[in-house]
Amino acid sequence: MSPMLIIAKREFRSYFDSPLAYVVICVSFLALGIMFFFFRGGFWQADRATVGPMLELYVPVGLGVLVVPVVTMRLMAEEKRSGTLEMLITLPVRDSDVVVGKYLGALGLVVTLVTVTLVYPLVMFHWPWNLGPLDMGPVWSGYLGLVLFSAACVAIGLLVSSLTDSQAVAFFITVFVLGGFVWFAGWLSDVIGGTTANVLSYLSFSTHLEGFARGLVDTRDIVFFLSVTGLALVVAFRALERRKWA
Amino acid sequence: MASDVMIQAEGLTKRFGSVRALDKVSFQVRRGEVVGFLGPNGAGKSTTMRILTCFIAPTTGSATVRGHDVFDNPLEVRRSLGYLPQRAPLYQDMSVIDYLRFTAEVRGLDAGTFNRRLKKVVEVCGLAQTLGKDIGTLSHGYRQRVGLGQALIHDPPILILDEPTSDLDPNEKAEVLKYIKEIGKDRTILLSTHNLAEVEEACARAIIVSKGRVVADGPLDDIRARTGRVRYVVTIDEQRAEAGNKPPSAMAVQEALQRIDGTRSVSELPTDETAHKFEVSGPQDSDLRAEIFRLVVAKGWTLLELRREAQSLDAVFRDLTRREERLDRGYEGDGDDEESEQDADDEDSEKDSDDEDAEEDADDEDAEDGEDSDEEDSDEEDSDDQDESTGEEEPEKGKKG
Repeated sequence: MSPMLIIAKREFRSYFDSPLAYVVICVSFLALGIMFFFFRGGFWQADRATVGPMLELYVPVGLGVLVVPVVTMRLMAEEKRSGTLEMLITLPVRDSDVVVGKYLGALGLVVTLVTVTLVYPLVMFHWPWNLGPLDMGPVWSGYLGLVLFSAACVAIGLLVSSLTDSQAVAFFITVFVLGGFVWFAGWLSDVIGGTTANVLSYLSFSTHLEGFARGLVDTRDIVFFLSVTGLALVVAFRALERRKWA
Repeated sequence: MASDVMIQAEGLTKRFGSVRALDKVSFQVRRGEVVGFLGPNGAGKSTTMRILTCFIAPTTGSATVRGHDVFDNPLEVRRSLGYLPQRAPLYQDMSVIDYLRFTAEVRGLDAGTFNRRLKKVVEVCGLAQTLGKDIGTLSHGYRQRVGLGQALIHDPPILILDEPTSDLDPNEKAEVLKYIKEIGKDRTILLSTHNLAEVEEACARAIIVSKGRVVADGPLDDIRARTGRVRYVVTIDEQRAEAGNKPPSAMAVQEALQRIDGTRSVSELPTDETAHKFEVSGPQDSDLRAEIFRLVVAKGWTLLELRREAQSLDAVFRDLTRREERLDRGYEGDGDDEESEQDADDEDSEKDSDDEDAEEDADDEDAEDGEDSDEEDSDEEDSDDQDESTGEEEPEKGKKG
């Protein structure tokens, strides 16, 4: 196994060595359940066989402003503060192995969480209950979108974490940045008009998620999320390298 | 022998902003050497080690480890190293065995090799009882052992240990040093510390750094001899004196000792109410004991203790690092030339005073030489002290050899 995957495995496991993973999973599902069934009348009021709001709104917002910041805040910041980064980097690993390994470890947890939300469409519309004829096409594409969305969010979280050595600072900045991308940019572009609105709307993660939730897999959206991911990882890599010179 | 050089640093300079942490540090460590890397806090020890392990890059200068350049070939460098950073930072929520397995996997050891090595590491580092425990629950000493264990798991030819004994209690310290000595039998070890006793215990050679520069590099005995001073400890009874004389005051003793030829400085050491204890320092290749004894007899004082000892490494260390401090404050010119000039001056003045000694006290010199020859006229106390001091030094030398 390559050092990158070993680091990813350790990172993923370390979430379960501490209470963090369990707390995040429990609280997320509790929150998702409340949102799903009660938010603005929730599922019952909509009276349609759909999990659209979940894929388009509840899960992305929950991930963006809570789950991803909590999961990524410690990635680099904690290692820098406790000095374990020195131990890790002086093993025969490339800096890129460390960045990508940690990224994959954290993404693994987030994707696991996202995957587990599949119980909603499966349990409610297939077995044991069958509350209506759910079109599974948009569900699958919606999940593809969510995974890409998570990839971008985790990359940004990792980047922020690698710029500071305080977990709390990393958490709040990540909340702020992801909040901006996921929700604020879209909202602002609705309020103002003109070219700025177009730019903001393009930058907004929710714009790019819409298509997926409707069953539309657009190459542009895929490229958008992958580019954000790549860019954030490269900057995180540079931030890690910076220790050598400063 | 180039192939023998395991670690080579050439002109390493590191700046952090305007702070110069390292200034043209150069040294070599050869195969099989255990080298103590000494210096006060903030002298640049950790910075040097971080450069050698490719954690940070030097501003200028180069370093090679086992022939691999730290800049061009960091992976090869790290493969041949075992490194224990300061304070042994480990993942708190992993168990010891998981942690060791993790480092072994990253280093590419297969399961069979890992199990074999693990057995050895557990034995050397004394980890058998703690393998299943979480690192976060261990005492600092055990964490340090785990840190040593991870540095040893791949059986590296070179070990770099940054303050492996800091924050340990004396028992743990002794044990860690024991491990280091044990594993140092067939490995090259660079060991940083600010504790001199440890260097004397574990290393044959020391590199002393201060303010980012190397101020001394060589076998411990050479370094000890560098400042060229010998110290004498004289204790005189404060309450009684011989043959009806009055017991002396501290001032009187100090003045009398200062009047002895060759005395460089006299300072009082703390004692209880019953005695005056003084430290006299003199030039290295002379012996003032006979002089002191004669003085005491002439005054009729009661001599309780007279001891000659080579200057301790501690004092040399303080001396060397203080000199740097002085340079830093601009009391002297900078540069290595100045330093060596200073040394030369010191030596000259020693020789001068020695010559004087020789001229004026030819007899005394003979008596002092009597240490080796069969001349027995020096008094009992004196020769006892000689025995004592040589007795103290001998086993140390044996260790270093």
